[in-house]
Formats: sequence, C-alpha cells, structure tokens
Amino acid sequence: MNPKKFLLFSVLFVCVIQAFLFYSDKPKQNNEFHFPYQAQGLTERQAAAHLLSRFTFGATPGQIDEVVKMGLESWFNQQLQVAFKEDTLQQRLSDFQFINLTNTEIAKMFPRPAKLLKMAAEDGVISRDSIDLLSKDEVKVRLDSYIKEKNIHTQSELIKELINQKIIRATYSNNQLQEVLTDFWFNHFNVALTKPQVVLFTLVYERDAIRPNVLGKFNDLLSATSQSPAMLAFLDNFTSFGDNDSLQNSRFRKRIEEERMNRFENKVDTAVNNQFKNRKSKSGINENYARELMELHTLGVDGGYTQVDVTQAARVLSGWSIYPMGELAGGQISKLIESLGEEKLKERGFVKNGDFFFVQSRHDVKQKKVLGNIYPENGGYQEGVDLLSMLAHHPSTAKFISKKLAVRFVSDNPPQSLVDKMSKTFLDKDGDIKQMLITMVNASEFWSKSSVRQKTKSPFELVISSLRALKADVIIPFQVFRQLDKMGHKIYYYQAPTGFPDRADYWINTGALMNRMNFGIAIASKQMPAVKFDLLKLNNNHEPENIEQALRIYAQLLMPERDVESTIKRLLPLLNDPALQRKLLNTADSIKRGNKEEGISMELDDLFAKDEQMPIFNHNSLAQVVGIIIGSPEFQRR
Amino acid sequence: MSSRRGFIKSGALAVFGVSLGGVPGFVLKAAQHFNQTQLYKKRKILICIFQRGAMDGLMAVTPFSDEFLKKARPNLFMSAANSEANRLIDLDGRFGLHPSMGSFEQLFKNKQLAIVHGIGSPNNTRSHFDAQDYMETGTPFNKGTESGWLNRATGLLGHDATPFRAVSLTSSQPRSFYGNNATVAISNLNDFVIKGKQPASMMNVTAKSFEELYDQATSKMMQNIGKETFEAVKMLSDIDVKNYKPANGSEYPKSSLGNALKQIAQLIKADVGLEIGFAESSGWDTHFNQGTFNGNFARNAKDLSVSITAFWNDIGAAYQDEVVVMTMTEFGRTVKQNGTGGTDHGRASCNFILGNHLNGGLVYGDLKPLAVENLEDGRDLPVTTDFRSVFSEVADQHLKLNNDSILFPDWTGKHLKLFRS
Repeated sequence: MNPKKFLLFSVLFVCVIQAFLFYSDKPKQNNEFHFPYQAQGLTERQAAAHLLSRFTFGATPGQIDEVVKMGLESWFNQQLQVAFKEDTLQQRLSDFQFINLTNTEIAKMFPRPAKLLKMAAEDGVISRDSIDLLSKDEVKVRLDSYIKEKNIHTQSELIKELINQKIIRATYSNNQLQEVLTDFWFNHFNVALTKPQVVLFTLVYERDAIRPNVLGKFNDLLSATSQSPAMLAFLDNFTSFGDNDSLQNSRFRKRIEEERMNRFENKVDTAVNNQFKNRKSKSGINENYARELMELHTLGVDGGYTQVDVTQAARVLSGWSIYPMGELAGGQISKLIESLGEEKLKERGFVKNGDFFFVQSRHDVKQKKVLGNIYPENGGYQEGVDLLSMLAHHPSTAKFISKKLAVRFVSDNPPQSLVDKMSKTFLDKDGDIKQMLITMVNASEFWSKSSVRQKTKSPFELVISSLRALKADVIIPFQVFRQLDKMGHKIYYYQAPTGFPDRADYWINTGALMNRMNFGIAIASKQMPAVKFDLLKLNNNHEPENIEQALRIYAQLLMPERDVESTIKRLLPLLNDPALQRKLLNTADSIKRGNKEEGISMELDDLFAKDEQMPIFNHNSLAQVVGIIIGSPEFQRR
Repeated sequence: MSSRRGFIKSGALAVFGVSLGGVPGFVLKAAQHFNQTQLYKKRKILICIFQRGAMDGLMAVTPFSDEFLKKARPNLFMSAANSEANRLIDLDGRFGLHPSMGSFEQLFKNKQLAIVHGIGSPNNTRSHFDAQDYMETGTPFNKGTESGWLNRATGLLGHDATPFRAVSLTSSQPRSFYGNNATVAISNLNDFVIKGKQPASMMNVTAKSFEELYDQATSKMMQNIGKETFEAVKMLSDIDVKNYKPANGSEYPKSSLGNALKQIAQLIKADVGLEIGFAESSGWDTHFNQGTFNGNFARNAKDLSVSITAFWNDIGAAYQDEVVVMTMTEFGRTVKQNGTGGTDHGRASCNFILGNHLNGGLVYGDLKPLAVENLEDGRDLPVTTDFRSVFSEVADQHLKLNNDSILFPDWTGKHLKLFRS
C-alpha cells in the first residue's frame, strides 16, 4: 500500500468510525438501560405500570400491554427521544388560533384591558363622562358587544387557549414524558398570569423556552428562560438599571458627554439624552431575578451564596431586558433603536436575541464578583452568559436539581443514594437531563417499594389521568379548569416564583380532598358536558350484570395492576344492599332541607326496583361506581 | 344555629347523619346532640379585607384643611365645611371621612374604629402585583417567600384546630393563605358538601362509600384528612347561605364583599372554630373618573363601609368582643389628580381597624402638609407607618401571637399602640 493510498484509507476509516460513533450516539437499542425491577419484586406488567405512573399523566386503557409488547426499555427510550407520532394531538390542536403566534404578534393582537377601555371610549361606546354613572354590568355589556363588533381579541381568549392547549397536550400527546417534563420545568421556572405583564408572554415562554429544552442540557434551559420576556417581566429584571455611579467610566456615557459638549443638537442626541435623563430619575438595580435565579432556579436556598452574591449577580444581569414590541414599546428604548439603528447599537454592545434585548446603556459596567468568580469591568452581555453557565454547572445546582427531579419521579422523600447518583451524572454529563433520567431509571431505588405508588397525584394529574383512563373526548378543555381551581391547582396562576409545591401534604387538605371526591362524581356523571366518553365501550360494550361485576371491571380498568380487592370488599355491601339503599333514602327524606339545590334534597323518581330483593343497577349506578373509583384514595395515588 | 357543634367522633355516624345500622334519623339527631362537646372555647377571630387595586387614602380620609391637596386636586377635592350640602364627615377637625362611609362615623365615635394614615410598604414598587405580593407575604423585599403571613399566623395559633380555622371567602387561595398550614378557600359555604346531580339516595350511598374508603386508606395522612373532611361537611351541614337572616336588622350589600362577610358571620355564629377570615374588595384602581360624592370611588367606599358595618351589627354583642376587622390595600394614589379625572399609583394609603378593644376614634400616623417637598419622589404621600407595624400589632394584641420573627422576619419597628392596654 503506497503512502497515498494509506492516507486515503485512513481518512475513510476515520470517517466510518466517526459515522459509527455518530449513529451509536443516537438511540442505542437498550444498551444504556438496565431496569432492575425484578430484583425489587415487580413483575414486568407491574414495572410497566410503574413506568407509566412516573412518566405519563396516567395510563390509557391497554397501555400496559403496549409497553410490555414494545419492551419497557424501548418504550422509555422512545419517550426520551420524543419519537412517537403525534397525529391525534396535531388533529386536536389544529383549530387553535393563537398557539403558533410570536410574542410580537401577540403583543400587537391583544390589547391590555385598560387599552381596550380607552379604545371603547374613543369610539364613543362608553363615554368618559358616563363611565361612573353606568353600572359595572352595563359597562361589561357594552364592552362585550364592542369587542364582538370590532372583532377584537381579548387577553382572556389568549389565556383560555393557553390553558386549553396544556390540557389537550397532557391528555393526548403520545410523547408523554415531554409533556410531564414541560409541566415540571415550567413549574421550576414558574411565572404566573396573576402578573398582568406576564399574560402576553406565557404561551411563547412554555412553547419556545421550556418545551424544546426539557430533555436537553440544563444550561440551555436556564438561559432560554433567562432571556424569555415572561421571566424578564415576572421577576422584574427588565426594569433593572445599573446605578449611575458605575456608569462614570462607560464609553457610552463619555460619548454622550462629548456630544453634549459639542452641542450637536440632533435627533440622536436628544434621544440619547432622554435615555440618560430618564435613567437618572429611575435608576436602580432590581435583585428579584438574581435572587430567585440562585435560590429557586439553580443553587437552592442552601446552595452556599450570600446576599452579596445576589446583589453582584443582579449587577451582572443589569440591562437584560425585552426588545420593544406592540404596546410594550418601552418608550426610551424604542426611540434609541429608532434613532441609532440596530447596527450602531450592536457596535456599542447592545445585543438583540429574538425578544431579548441587552441594553448596554443600562448595564452596570464595573467589576463584579459572584461566588468567588471575577467578572472584569466592561464585560457587557457576555458576563451574564458566563454567570448563568457558572451557576448551571455548580455542584449545588447538581444536587438541587437532582433532588427535585427525584421528588417528582420517585417519592416525596427520595433516597439520598439516588440523588447522589443523579447528581454525579449531572456533573459528569454537562447537566444532560436525559442522562440524569437514565441514571434514575437504572437505579434500584426507582423500582423499590418505597417508590411504587408513593406519590400523590396533583389535581392536574388526577384530572388528566381520569381523562386518559376514560379515553375521554375533551371538546372544551376549559370545563375542567374550574375543577382544577377548586382542588387548589389553578394552573398558570401560582403567584409565587417557587411554583406549586410537589408534596402530598400540600395537595391533600380538607377542602381540596372533598373537591377531589366531587370531581370523581362530576366527571363520571358527565356534569362537564363537553367532556365525552363511553363507559360501556371501555369494556368492549359489555354491560356489567351487577354492581359487583361493575366494580371489579372498572376498578381494574382505571387502576390496572393494583390490588383492588379490599376496595371492592369495602364497597360491595354498601352499593349492593337494596334494603340499605331504602333506609338511606328514607333518612335522606327525613333530613331533607328544602333549601339545598343539589345533593341530598333532590326529588326521587322511580329509580328503585320494584322487587325489594333485587339490587338496583342501571346506567346511573355505573356512573356512580366510576365516580367513586375516581374519588377514592387509591386513585389519588400514582 | 346557635348551638355549638363539636366533632362527631363516633365512626358509626355517617355523612348526613345516616348510619350503617339503619338508625332512624331522629334517633341520630339526638345522638348528634348528645355528642356535641364544647370543644371550642371562644377564640379570638381576625377578619382581613384586602382592597385590591390601591385605595386612594387621601379621598377616603381627607386632610381637608390642606391647601396643597386642594390645589393638586381641583376636581376631586371635597370640603368639610358646614356650608356645603355635600361634605366630608369631620372626624377630628383635621381629617374628613368620605360621606359614603357614613356608617363608620358612629363606630369611630364609639372608639371602636381606628384609622392609620400614611400606611404602606417600605418597598416603593408601584406595581399592583408586586405590592400585593409583598404585603401578603409580609416580606416586602423578598419575592421568593413561599408562604403568606396569614398562613404563618395560622401556624402560630398553637392549639387543636378545626378545618375552618382559617377560611378565605374567595374562589382561589389568596397569596396571604399560601403555605403549609391547612386553610380553606371557598366562595360559597354550601359548596362544602359531597354533591352531584344524581338522585339523593345515590348521593348518600356515594358519600358513604367515600367515607368508608377513606377510613381504610393505606396512607395515614389520607385517612386523617379524609376523616377531617367528613367532619367538616357535617359541621357546615346546618349553614344555609341562601336563606340566612342576619341579626339586628343588618342588611349586607348584594356585592361580593357583602356576600363574603355575611358568610363569615355565619361561620362565626356556627362556632365551627374560625379564627382567621379573609375577604376581598375590588375596583379601587381609579385612574379614570374617580368621582367625588358620587362615582366610582364613592360606590366602592359605600360597599366597603356598609358591608363591614352590617357584619359588625350582625355578629352583635355576643361576638364583637372576640373579633377584629382590618382592611389593607397595596398602596395609595398620587396626590395630584391626573388628566382623566382620576389618580395614579402612589405610595401610602390608610387603613381601618375595628374592634372593641381598640383605642379607636383616632386617626393614627404621621401626615405632613402635602407640599411637594414633603412628598415621596415629589408626588406621593410618603409611607410613615410600615404596614407590618400594624399587622404585627393586631397579631400580637388580638391573636396573642407575639412572634414577629416568623410573621415579619425582616421587620424591626414599633407598634402604634392601637389597642387599649
């Protein structure tokens, strides 16, 4: 072989190897997975049920069989690769109007309530002088017809669609893990519609900052949230200005001074001067984002930082703001862009990245020090990027994130040994979330008795798992939102940046528990008319012959691979005893109070069988049985 | 309604007073009566009302002889002069109460009502969301505080409690109630029942089935809360919201605040163990056409004052000694009126505290003449009393909590001595 040929061969060889490596980086058939469930005493079907309880919003009928057929490892791998087809979901989302809009489009399209009022006033629908003479209802009536007439989209429409799409995705997505993680990470980086400035941006936040990154590197997820308008607004960073003293040395300021000295009075100068003047009166570092960035997003409250670190980090991130859009054309910044042009701004260190805008002129240029890391003066935009990356790779972050994931997917008190394994993966694999999940599922702790069925469903999980178990056709998802609110889980409205707590004792309290039972009754007896399902079809159109059969069949359908015997034993005497039912009926009559509209005082018809010996069974009974199962303590667990 | 109801400890008694053994209803009722132990000693009760939107304290309680204010508000200023047909209610020669709050006058004269003027947050944010958040967590510089101050207060009450220890008459939990201690948020007390659209007989079986299942739940926590839930349902089963007749000829406004306070009165009278109640009043964000004697502000002021007065008369002498009502709002409004007949977001406002043990009949706080040099940022009534001072004093003097390090961890300051010692 001559040298030339040898070289060619070598190059080819390397290419082949590289191609091989490249492919082997893609889903390897199960090589990465060793699910040690047998050692923990689980059968394959029980393991499949556990897997589904952890990485989906609840098993659909027959799904355990599917997973077993496919192979548990293979199913999980497909979930990690987001490889399942989404025909059903796409079909369901096809008539959504707003879910593909950009923030700029949304900002243009949905006027603030106050703006709407102003528009209506300008069009003479509500005269300014009469507004205080009209009742609130009258104003609402007039506004509503104005909105219809002018074909205006209101922010409440946007909110509705945001909520609807979440319910639809959770219920119908085949890539369930992605949805479960979207819920998890959104909650980790929580923003809330309770803050008016956040309303417009939340849809894009979840769609573009959260969902595409839920199985990627933690640093990518963190930086996507840090630059998303929703987060910049929710934790106020978009209003954070470097203080004036620190700007003394800034080249930008020097230029302003020079231009002033030259009395170069033109448009540009005026805009720049205004910007400067404006800052003078309103300057100030806002620490909210910097604090939550460390406490909630990365290091954790015991992550080893001090108040000084928070202040310093806030200075690093000063100037991180939102690019002007729609009504939110932050006056001074818009003028600046208009007069200087994007190119010139770029030269001066301003950075535009989608909706994100780094406003160099608001950035504190002096040197900072966070957790011992020095950020030299005039670091500009890049020092914020470096800060985030440093935090994203910090050992405290590894621990904090690992623990939180384990709490979500294993139990409220996950074993430290498991958290340590995941934490090691986090540090070894550059914060790769996929790899952390693989470490978790390969660990024996994941399959142990202290994990299986040890989580209490959040109300959202309760609702979605019911919808999935019933194969429901959810026509108007918003109908279940009110139910979520009653059970204490008003999605997108949790005001604290902590996100909803993820522990049983938070979700289970007196009022909430009662509403869970009422939810069981409500869904089973079709009180939400736009949530349709067919109980008989679930059982291949076989009608159960009696209550006992109904109980057995539906308990197993709704709670597969669980021991439901004790539940059945407990319920049968109650549900199956005509004499008792008659007694209950009489008592109900005797304590009936006329004022209650529902519940115990409803008039009775001839629902009772004529034959006293025959237990009563009809379609109402079937709904009753299913309602009781969904409201039962066992169904609250996963 | 006047009888005290205790927990029904016997497991044989089922929801709605139906038992497995088929005991007739009347026997059961007797049994229930027999079981009524007097578990609840009379506890102190605090009712908080959040006025969302930021009330203009300078219009609610006007320093009417302030010439600067008169100048700053050519269309909004009201006089207290006797010569005027429409005028402010002169409280003390310096402050005038908005005439729509006329029902407060007698309470003020009786020294049951105290007013704190210049109250607000040390954090100067003028965002409703942020200011409410800070006020409700009780930590004006920390957004990450997970719990609300009333939830922490609930945790400090420190004795056996009923599910109705802390109740918010709102559809969702207010920020003040976030936290680890169990609280209830409910807008209609009659919703507190196992219910559905099925026939009564079936609903009874369903409810009974749930009770059986929760009694046997594998999780101890689920079991306990389940038990508590069914007891709570029983406790409320006698309350009838729709046909309630308030005592002493009280008439509540047909507003959401009136409705909420009416139900709180019912809870108090039913002795179900209420210690902290919460209600909301909205519409205070008066940027446009605030009005004077009539209009937006007047309407809200009337709703607030009439609701509170109706509540106070309704609970009557039997309970007034145990109850304190306190209002709060996130900030005040600009001293100057704006271009649309209203006022914009400002700093300090005022609040009302009502109770028999108060040193009432006084306007507390420190208000300088409203000359520009005395204003915060040259435009707003400055905050001279930290809201935490007043909240802390009420928590200490009335609920006997005495634990600022938990309630208001970053605050060190003095009380105004609003209570008679």
